[in-house]
Amino acid sequence: MLAVELVKRLPGFALEVAWEASEPVVALFGPSGAGKTLTLDCLAGLLRPDAGRIVVGDRVFFDAGAGIHLPPQRRRVGYVFQGYALFPHLTVAANVGFGLRDRPRAERERRVAEVLARLGLAALATRYPDELSGGQRQRVALGRALAIEPALLLLDEPLSALDVPTRAALRDDLGRTLREWGIPAVVVTHDFAEAYRLADRIVIYQGGRVVQAAPRAELLWRPASEAVARIIGVRNVLRGTVVKATPDRIQLRWRGYLLEAVNSPTRAYLPSSGEPIAFFIRPEYVRLIRKDRGAPDPAHHMNLMAGRVVDEADFGTTWVLRIRLDTPGAPAQGDYDLEVEVPRLVYEILEIDRDRWWQLSVHRGSIHVLPA
Amino acid sequence: MDLFPLWLSLRVAVTATALTLLAGVPLAWALARRRFPGRDLVEVLVVLPLVLPPTVLGYYLLQLLGRQGPVGGLLAAAGLELVFTWWAAVVAAVVGSVALLVKAAQAGFEAVDPRLEQAARTLGRSEWSVFWSVTLPLAWRAVLAGTVLAFCRAMGEFGITLMLAGSIPGRTQTLPLAIYDRVQADRMAEANALALLAVGIVAVLVLGLRRLARLRY
Repeated sequence: MLAVELVKRLPGFALEVAWEASEPVVALFGPSGAGKTLTLDCLAGLLRPDAGRIVVGDRVFFDAGAGIHLPPQRRRVGYVFQGYALFPHLTVAANVGFGLRDRPRAERERRVAEVLARLGLAALATRYPDELSGGQRQRVALGRALAIEPALLLLDEPLSALDVPTRAALRDDLGRTLREWGIPAVVVTHDFAEAYRLADRIVIYQGGRVVQAAPRAELLWRPASEAVARIIGVRNVLRGTVVKATPDRIQLRWRGYLLEAVNSPTRAYLPSSGEPIAFFIRPEYVRLIRKDRGAPDPAHHMNLMAGRVVDEADFGTTWVLRIRLDTPGAPAQGDYDLEVEVPRLVYEILEIDRDRWWQLSVHRGSIHVLPA
Repeated sequence: MDLFPLWLSLRVAVTATALTLLAGVPLAWALARRRFPGRDLVEVLVVLPLVLPPTVLGYYLLQLLGRQGPVGGLLAAAGLELVFTWWAAVVAAVVGSVALLVKAAQAGFEAVDPRLEQAARTLGRSEWSVFWSVTLPLAWRAVLAGTVLAFCRAMGEFGITLMLAGSIPGRTQTLPLAIYDRVQADRMAEANALALLAVGIVAVLVLGLRRLARLRY
């Protein structure tokens, strides 16, 4: 259980956040300069907040009201810094054992050997940091933090120092390690895929504030606002006008079409008619209508639209098409209206490379309305 | 030939360098890592001896430490005499060389990534332990280079020493003063020998420093 409430004013920047988590792994996600690392420094005790409270489990790390501010030495927080901050003058074994100085020598050696073995670093014990690969350095930094049996683990961009091929492999490795050691962890990242893979709960930072904190699936499917949708990289974030809203349906006008969306039953949003409304359509949920099966059936194909492929990109297993609708007027996203993602097989069967005009349909459950 | 000036200079330089390290390293660390009131003033005071004429420094030190001076008066009351003793030469050498050590060590400490020191703190280490196990081991090269420079400067100190300790043969006449004295007395062979000794000592030290600098940490 982690409860964080922080106010920290710096020249030109103010951090003002509050979030809680009972999940084992939390990700702080957001653009650079949003205050994520600042939050970690406050959690570690390296920075003293101006106001607020930090509680980890049953221990109060900081409480401005009660005048409590535990120094970093007494928090037992394992911090994996961005770029790892390994001690360059010490071997791998000495780095991992650095936080164990107050333990008897025999116990210290046993603990270091155990940590090195569990992280697959035993063969590197006598090496120096500059003789290691990026992935090995990351594991040494992790080992150094885990060796002290921390009450909380902090990881600042743990994968950003790695090259792309190693990154994906190590991301899953790291996720497994975090779960195996079972220590509550806070991971800072500006990569949403990373946050989603590693964490159970995601806290989104923007400009020193939290814009949404939710379990990861909820965040992906129900971003709280247009701003959140844009930060997490949702594509096809669009703006239309409300025609009619009821607790279970929202009708809206967009690019000359009348679209119907499902209103969330738990979070019913009832804007009045004529109000602007933001929504998004996931590119992989747009259906292309086959021309060899007769005319589309309005009962089966809801939210029918038509347009032309104006641009496309090959992502190996999928193709991303940019479609410009036939309706007159400026396209919604620069020179196109909708991004549509199709599996490679579909692209080949439908011969999209030759046939550029398509009718599209979107199920009402796949149009996600974003509350203002 | 009388080698007293050589032994005196070595004794003065070793003592002065020890005192310089004792005062200069904590000062350099504070200037590199701490924000405190009067920090700018301290930085200026440290550098002043490098830019002021040595005779001016010597003159003010004489005013301060002489029998009539505020500090000298206290020493005299305690039965201690500083001016025109070999300790005066030590004071002169410290004042003349401390800036070299402080500036070199400060640059060395500033070059240590503060994240490494923070990592040590999160791993339970006290400020004292952070300094000895992280900051100093990573900055020792710069501290050593500053120490060697300060030692050489202490060996060569002339103007402040002359003002504060005088040039009393067999008591306060250090190597540089002795060389000047021999030249004045037209004893060129002795001046030559002493000058060669001075060059030899500095050359050995600087070469030794280059060897040490090749070590990793």
